[in-house]
Amino acid sequence: MKSAVKKFKGLSDKAIAWIFIAPTLILLLAINIYPLIYAIRMSFTNFYANKIGREVKFVGLKNYKKILGKEEIWEKMQITAHFVCWTLVIQALIGLGLALLLNKKFKGNELLTTLIVLPMMLSPAVVGVFWTYLYNPQVGLFNYVVNFFYDFGIFDMIGSSTLAPWSIVIVDTWMWTPFTMLICLAGLRSIPNYLYEAAEVDRASKWQQFIHITLPSVLPFLLLALLFRGIENFKMFDLVAELTSGGPGSATELASINLKREAFEKWKTGYSSAFAVILFVTIFGFGNVYVKVMNKIKDR
Amino acid sequence: MNLGGNNMKKILSVFLVPVFALLFSLNAKSESLTLGWAAWDPANALQELSKEFTAETGVEMNFEFVPWPNFAERMLNELNNQGKTFDLLIGDSQWIGQGAEYGHYVKLNDFFDANGISMDDFNPATVYAYSTWPKGTPNYYALPAMGDALAWAYRKDWFDRPELQAEFKGKHGYDLGVPKTWDELYDMCTFFQGREIDGQVRYGAAINTERGSEGITMGVTAAMYAWGMEYENPDKPYDMDGYFNSDASVEAVEFYRKMYEDCAPPGHSDAYMVANLDAYKSGQVAFQMNWYAFWPGVSKEDSDGRVSGFFANPCQNVCAATLGGQGISVVKYSDKQDLALEYMKWFAKPDIQQKWWDLGGYSCHMDVLGSPDFVDSAVYAQGFLDSMGIVKDFWQEPTFVELMLPMQERIHDYVVNGKGSAKEALDKIIDDWTEVFEDDGKI
Repeated sequence: MKSAVKKFKGLSDKAIAWIFIAPTLILLLAINIYPLIYAIRMSFTNFYANKIGREVKFVGLKNYKKILGKEEIWEKMQITAHFVCWTLVIQALIGLGLALLLNKKFKGNELLTTLIVLPMMLSPAVVGVFWTYLYNPQVGLFNYVVNFFYDFGIFDMIGSSTLAPWSIVIVDTWMWTPFTMLICLAGLRSIPNYLYEAAEVDRASKWQQFIHITLPSVLPFLLLALLFRGIENFKMFDLVAELTSGGPGSATELASINLKREAFEKWKTGYSSAFAVILFVTIFGFGNVYVKVMNKIKDR
Repeated sequence: MNLGGNNMKKILSVFLVPVFALLFSLNAKSESLTLGWAAWDPANALQELSKEFTAETGVEMNFEFVPWPNFAERMLNELNNQGKTFDLLIGDSQWIGQGAEYGHYVKLNDFFDANGISMDDFNPATVYAYSTWPKGTPNYYALPAMGDALAWAYRKDWFDRPELQAEFKGKHGYDLGVPKTWDELYDMCTFFQGREIDGQVRYGAAINTERGSEGITMGVTAAMYAWGMEYENPDKPYDMDGYFNSDASVEAVEFYRKMYEDCAPPGHSDAYMVANLDAYKSGQVAFQMNWYAFWPGVSKEDSDGRVSGFFANPCQNVCAATLGGQGISVVKYSDKQDLALEYMKWFAKPDIQQKWWDLGGYSCHMDVLGSPDFVDSAVYAQGFLDSMGIVKDFWQEPTFVELMLPMQERIHDYVVNGKGSAKEALDKIIDDWTEVFEDDGKI
């Protein structure tokens, strides 16, 4: 034991740091980096995982050209962009609004916070399934509630090509706005009270306080929440697959749903690897630009 | 205490003999087979039937039944990964191509010959569809297990009402009854659409509209076959232009969309077997499109036959029906192939096939189907016989999933989503299929 300690003592700080980092690094390499490199390699082949014994040929950039030249792929990207943009905008507004509300002290605040956070804790697959019932035009609660305010008659949220893209936005907003709210709430609670006191002394109105103190302070938090939600929603699969299966037709077929179909139903492994790489580069690119913008805002 | 050599042996024998005996008996009992199928009524009937096999042989039967929407994905993943979970698989008719070509299924010719199992004893349409690859050749990879076709059930109790009969005849000039053509079916569906019966609003028909797996394709092809659609030029394989997208095919797809718009209940935009069954059982619709496999269940709840009637897919330009059903295969990756073949031998016996039909399974054995009592044994038996004589199936190519998915998307996009025209949808499907066949080296 003593000798082991001695040996350990003999190691440099750098070596000890490497010993601690190594397990994580090995796992990361094995689970993330190796599959990524393998997928990139496969993306240049005509590999089909279900065609055992078929010769795998190197096809160069053929898969990439095919994907980028396909009109339908751009349609899926547009559908994904519609979903990501609207969910981010709505979740930012409602999430910030709820956070401002819950930042006030009132009776039942904690209970309300717990209730609001509940949807986030459910499994997306479960949420998808029960919203299909809520959206049912004959017996679903959603139609009933909407018709209570204005008589639209029977309408089919997930069966109509115009309403279906909004149906998935609504469900994602219902489920994940609490996440944005929680992060904003953390931001709001970190604002020191003396800033508001000084503003009161300077006779700043509530609106001016919000614009000049609250919003700048909470903005980095809100942007961070939106970064997480943006990345997640760009990859969104389970909730939408359960809710609409990408339908009607292909009205809600997000890029990730299409990728799954190509990879694990049609077994076009080479082609779908190329598509996965394209999606990865897109998220990575957007993510990096976003982080840079976020850092600039934070620095200000 | 001194334990001499003899005493030691005695003690050991007293303890070890029962231990070994127990181990042997456990080993004997642990002989088991696992069978994979879809989770539906016939699977429960097979489970019941298989108890007899266990009683005869001592082989325990385990079952894994997967819900229909995930059935193909689960099973095909298992086969592609050369998994050993299943010894026996009751796979869809369309899987026979890849089962044979990719070596997932055991070829059964030698086994059939050695055990006196003749394919002549089974309904020819089912042998062709469920067992042979390449199609129609005497190369068998499955034993016909469950005959099936797409058919219709209707609310006989509503049809029997004199006031409705009179109103229908006044409007359309012919009797309200089992529709002989799709045109008649449409007249009847629209007649019931939105009609109030016994204080409730009813709708026309629950038809297949499911997007994810195969639902809408199975539904729309029921119409397309009746309009006379062919997948390809009979003289030039894989030449689809002018056949699959013929005027008749286009008309059939347009008709199916009309059926969806004018006859389906609200929210019936992603519906297949269970959803159709639910819509019918809950009294929402006058008609439901579904597989024969569900009729024993529907019929059971209607013991006096007053509520439900059944009929084969109506004719239009020709008489045809969408094929369902499955054959039973031995999985190549199983370590218990001999035992699995024993099960198959047992299942092929005529008396077991009769019991299979009695329990609610659809036997394909000619001794059962040809029996004089067969037609009267169930209200849907005659329809089943009629349908099995006119069935047509989707592509059974090894690439069938790649062929199925674009059709699902294009047809759903047109029928439910209202995007583009029927002709455009069919043209696009041909483009997609051409790409698949080119990739597969068929063109």
